[in-house]
Amino acid sequence: MSDVVLKNIGKTYLNGFCAIPSMDLTIEEGEFIVLVGPSGCGKSTLLRMVAGLESITQGDLLIKGNKVNEKEPADRDIAMVFQNYALYPHMSVYGNMSYGLKNRGTSKAVIAEKVNAVATMLGLEELLERKPRELSGGQRQRVAMGRAMVRDPKVFLFDEPLSNLDAKLRVQMRMEIRQLQRKLGTTTLYVTHDQVEAMTLADRLVVLNKGVAEQIGTPMDLYNKPATPFVAAFIGSPSMNLFDANLTEKGVSLSESLYLPLPHAHRGSIVWGIRPEHLAIVDEQDADFALEILAVESLGAETLVHGVLKDGSVQGKAMVVRLAGPHNPELNSLLWLSAPATHWHIFDAITQQRL
Amino acid sequence: MTVTFPQKGLPWLLLLPQLLVTAIFFLWPAEQALEQAFYQEDAFGLSREFVGLENFVYLFTDPLYYQSMLTTLVFSFSVAIMGMSVALFLAVMADRVIRGKLTYQTLLIWPYAVAPALAGVLWWILFDPSMGPIALWLGSAGVDWNHYLDGNQAMILVVIASTWKQISYNFLFFLAGLQAVPRSLIEAASIDGASPVKRFWTIVFPLLSPTTFFLLVVNLVYAFFETFGVIDATTKGGPGQSTNTLVYKVFEDGFIGLDLGGSAAQSVVLMAIVGVLTVIQFRFIERKVQYS
Repeated sequence: MSDVVLKNIGKTYLNGFCAIPSMDLTIEEGEFIVLVGPSGCGKSTLLRMVAGLESITQGDLLIKGNKVNEKEPADRDIAMVFQNYALYPHMSVYGNMSYGLKNRGTSKAVIAEKVNAVATMLGLEELLERKPRELSGGQRQRVAMGRAMVRDPKVFLFDEPLSNLDAKLRVQMRMEIRQLQRKLGTTTLYVTHDQVEAMTLADRLVVLNKGVAEQIGTPMDLYNKPATPFVAAFIGSPSMNLFDANLTEKGVSLSESLYLPLPHAHRGSIVWGIRPEHLAIVDEQDADFALEILAVESLGAETLVHGVLKDGSVQGKAMVVRLAGPHNPELNSLLWLSAPATHWHIFDAITQQRL
Repeated sequence: MTVTFPQKGLPWLLLLPQLLVTAIFFLWPAEQALEQAFYQEDAFGLSREFVGLENFVYLFTDPLYYQSMLTTLVFSFSVAIMGMSVALFLAVMADRVIRGKLTYQTLLIWPYAVAPALAGVLWWILFDPSMGPIALWLGSAGVDWNHYLDGNQAMILVVIASTWKQISYNFLFFLAGLQAVPRSLIEAASIDGASPVKRFWTIVFPLLSPTTFFLLVVNLVYAFFETFGVIDATTKGGPGQSTNTLVYKVFEDGFIGLDLGGSAAQSVVLMAIVGVLTVIQFRFIERKVQYS
């Protein structure tokens, strides 16, 4: 049975600004859904609508089959982890974790049992008497999660919970969140702007752009078959190389003098893309085009080469190549590349849809 | 930041106006009061006699002085608590208003600009037993209002008149305090199942405690020392001794009773109280609890 259903959900503010035009999403029980998109895309608004912190102006929101549009946040049986954790600063860790249960009239003995069980699971036993200000960022994060877990809600909501942590801790907490969610099997809706976080956590991803779901699918679906240039550019790091091009009888025309042979029924303006990791260095005679090297980023395990296409046009088109291992090509020299047709992504320039 | 002046004279020159004001209007009179407290002076100020601690001995054996102390305590705590509760209520309401927020807030701040004596006169007229609208309305409601005769009613009047002015000040601080409470905490509490009332008492009010404590000290100091104008314009300390606070008594004994030595002794006691309250206030401001 599906757990959370968004049916034609929309949000228009009183001043007429439409944050979310219409959105359909069915979340299965125990599924980990990540809402991802650039800032201002409406992902947090959508999450807050599910939480009940923002009103829903259109459509239905169902949790376990019940319509909850008009219900108070407390009556939706959800728990939320906020970006700044929103721990009550004047209460101890124990106080923070037990607050929700206390408000629901749970007996003291049961509260103590539940809080202690969750504290043990999260390694917070030693910290129960501390105040939030005496905790490190990672510990606060854990307390915020503990507060959500204690109530054993139907749905977990996460609003960019890792963005206040340093990079190393973020990777660790990411793994912990994933493991905990698997262990508890609680349906989860998670908002982030970080595509790596989104890819690693999600069962399914929802890529949002201006309040519209550009694509919904598994991380690998989105990586292999992005539905729109927006998704293609958003998923993967560094970003996919995208070019405005034309499909003609001769193939893909990146410029007047540069053609890539491809038999294709479609004719007209397109967006052509290839991921940096799918470009390969080849000999001059096998190459599809040459790249003039402008910058090299050596990361050890991989090397990113930034350059412009040498296609005879006045304005060079910027491109990134991702090479495994260390490389040290000379600046301003030419790199001969092949772009295998199996890795091409072609989108209609007008409809912005994958062809 | 330390600024170093090339000449030694300039800093002193810049400080001079403030130092002069302090010396002429505070240090000199304070010294005079301290000196006078040890003398007994005749009503015309023509002769005086050194009497040592006699003024203080007389003061602390006078039941009227203890009565005045009690009156001051009742008055001050009533003003502080009433002023703060009303201000907090208004601040909570103003914080919820979305449209015309600034208008409400400005209107609520206005009373602070009214001089204490004027505020006193205003309330004195409203409560005048023979023609004041509030007194007449109370009369028709069955309450026989006459603060010239009833000491408790006189106390209520001075408390209201003094509180009214202070509400604006308290309101500003409470509003700022409320706006500093992160929204996400309130949201987290509402997800945690706390009702609006419960959210206020278990989350918002505890987070306001630094503001509340600061205002308590400020309001007590105000009620102790800055309400002379209000009392003088409404009840003049009466009827009987019922609204004769320590500060008003200094004036009454000194300038009406012409017991200059006794009045000076009372001033010295007041100075000591101000000193203690100031220390408490500074201590508190230094240690101001910060929630991050």
